[in-house]
Amino acid sequence: MRGVDERIEDVRRLLAAARGVYERRQELVPSLVRTTGLSPEGVLLGFDSLERDASDAALRSLVESAGDATHVHVILSANVFVGALRALALARAAAARVTIRPSSRDPVLTQALVAAARDPALSITSERDPGVVGADRIDVYGGAAAIEQVRACAARGVTIRAHGPGLGVAFVTRAADPAEASRLLARDVVVFDQRGCLSPRLVTVEGDAARAESFAASLHASLAEWAERVPRGTLGDDERADARRWQESLAFAGRVWSGPEHVVGLGDRLLVPPTGRHVQVLPASDAPSASTLLAPIAAAIVTVGSDDSQQVRHLAPPHARIAALGQMQRPPLDGPVDRRSA
Amino acid sequence: MTDPVGLAESDALHARARAFVRAFEQGGAAPEPFDALALDLARFQARHVPGYARLCAARGVDPGRIREAAEAPAVPTDAFKLATVFAFPADQACVTFRTSGTTIGARGAHPMRITATYDGAALAFGRAMLAPHFEPPVPVLVLGPSEQEAPDSSLAHMCATFARAWGTGAWFLRGGEPDVEGLRRHIAELGPARPAVILATSLALAHLIDLAASLPLPAGSRVMQTGGFKGRKREVDAAELRRSVARLFALPEGDVVGEYGMTELSSQFWEGAPGVYREPPWARVVPVHPESLAPVPHGDVGIARIEDLANVDSAFAVLAADLVRRVDGGFELLGRAAGAPPRGCSIAVDEMLGGR
Repeated sequence: MRGVDERIEDVRRLLAAARGVYERRQELVPSLVRTTGLSPEGVLLGFDSLERDASDAALRSLVESAGDATHVHVILSANVFVGALRALALARAAAARVTIRPSSRDPVLTQALVAAARDPALSITSERDPGVVGADRIDVYGGAAAIEQVRACAARGVTIRAHGPGLGVAFVTRAADPAEASRLLARDVVVFDQRGCLSPRLVTVEGDAARAESFAASLHASLAEWAERVPRGTLGDDERADARRWQESLAFAGRVWSGPEHVVGLGDRLLVPPTGRHVQVLPASDAPSASTLLAPIAAAIVTVGSDDSQQVRHLAPPHARIAALGQMQRPPLDGPVDRRSA
Repeated sequence: MTDPVGLAESDALHARARAFVRAFEQGGAAPEPFDALALDLARFQARHVPGYARLCAARGVDPGRIREAAEAPAVPTDAFKLATVFAFPADQACVTFRTSGTTIGARGAHPMRITATYDGAALAFGRAMLAPHFEPPVPVLVLGPSEQEAPDSSLAHMCATFARAWGTGAWFLRGGEPDVEGLRRHIAELGPARPAVILATSLALAHLIDLAASLPLPAGSRVMQTGGFKGRKREVDAAELRRSVARLFALPEGDVVGEYGMTELSSQFWEGAPGVYREPPWARVVPVHPESLAPVPHGDVGIARIEDLANVDSAFAVLAADLVRRVDGGFELLGRAAGAPPRGCSIAVDEMLGGR
């Protein structure tokens, strides 16, 4: 059985590969623009979230959370493009043999990482039937339907680690400066065009309706500035349709600020916005009120961003990561991004 | 100011809507152009429903200046979950219909101050499309909750209204499960010469088919099936369900008639031919582009924008989440617009609603 230090070294080799891939990221931009729908600037911004180093403590935590297996098969059916690194790290920490089936829509970074790693323990497969790969554990990333399909096809006795979709939320306390908080939060929204499970889509603002309105206006301005530097990529027909419907609903229920590439909506009842730089701002008198507002979607929350890491613990679901505003898309490499399955 | 909250104006608009219904029942022409009443409703609602005023402002629409109903924004059904959509003081509501719950908790609410317009519209068009040749009293057998069990269900209210107006009502759903033996006994007591009307949800019919092989109805009976299976564990193809229902009740398939309605509306739509739904003269269904919200060419698929003149005190134009297509004789219902599957690991809104 491999020891902890050996496993950490295996993950460190992957991080070295990630640094190599990062160095030549410009070469990968055209392919990633095609596969992700992000703009070239959006791809480069996304690369900032690619883990390239980690502390010993973080890696020990990652190894601890990774479990142990002989052969892990990783299915990346849907993820943000840099998510491949953490998925591979968790699998490699767990097992001496890892097979990977990349997302058919977005295989670019996975292929680049595996090629750069030159690790004989890692191999890419195109096998679509998880029942025949011979792994004793399958790590599957994707939507509920994809996960169900893997569970149904897996051979008896195989452990399934499922990492489903989720979303991020934020809590802006009374002490925060709305302009500064919105400037930081806008970055979290823009990365991956909000398609990540760490991407904030709902922001509860402590205080009265006027304060929430002021924050919404600031966020609108910040997102407009970001659009100049990092244009939004292409949205699909369904995404644009969802966005329009959400916008009309919020216009009825509250107020909307529409930019060319984003919409901020203000309303006191929750209507989860679609991805693609759409944020709902909700006023909340205090942290418990914010918790009540978010309770219906608590199970889907992966991370909570805030200007106050202590106060936010009162409203974050126990499984959720806590992050500073502006850092929601950069969690330490200390385990799965999504801790709901832990 | 003699009518500060608009009740007298609302009463007058209700009367105009009911005049459409009366004219239909009498086989006469519409009492006024559709758009004339629609525009007055849009103006009234913009004055008395704050959310509608906000929506108009956000769209840059001045309801006082528009010339056609199509220019008035439609209220998305989601808005009924987020804000009040009624044009009268809250204490004036005599009933509040609510949409089914979702895993994210919100239920849409549609309060009504007057149900006479809803009831009249439902009865007139329901009778014409489901039971035109029936002479009261008609036995009405309901495979759905009663009003007592579901006081906030518009479907339960409609079924009870039909039962009260057409004859005798009997209910055969207990705790969500069909009461097969009760239904069998009741049908046996009808005798062969007394056709009946069955009002049922598609889900209840699918359960009934699982539980009973044959429940022959008297010749000439009709079956209403309504609703889909969204969020349910089982899905049954609509054509297959119709065949099975017809077989179960020993009726021609043409006597199984689809109904399309929703809590947010006051009018319903009925199948005139298999798969083709018709509107009453006081309502129309316009497929619109899901992003621009502009009408799509005839024959193209769009999101249903439903203009309902009987929705006097709420939203005369509602933007549903259903896909529809205009065809000769009416419109086809093509299911719900799917939520966009995100390309990353973000959760789709639809996935959160999936456990309804």
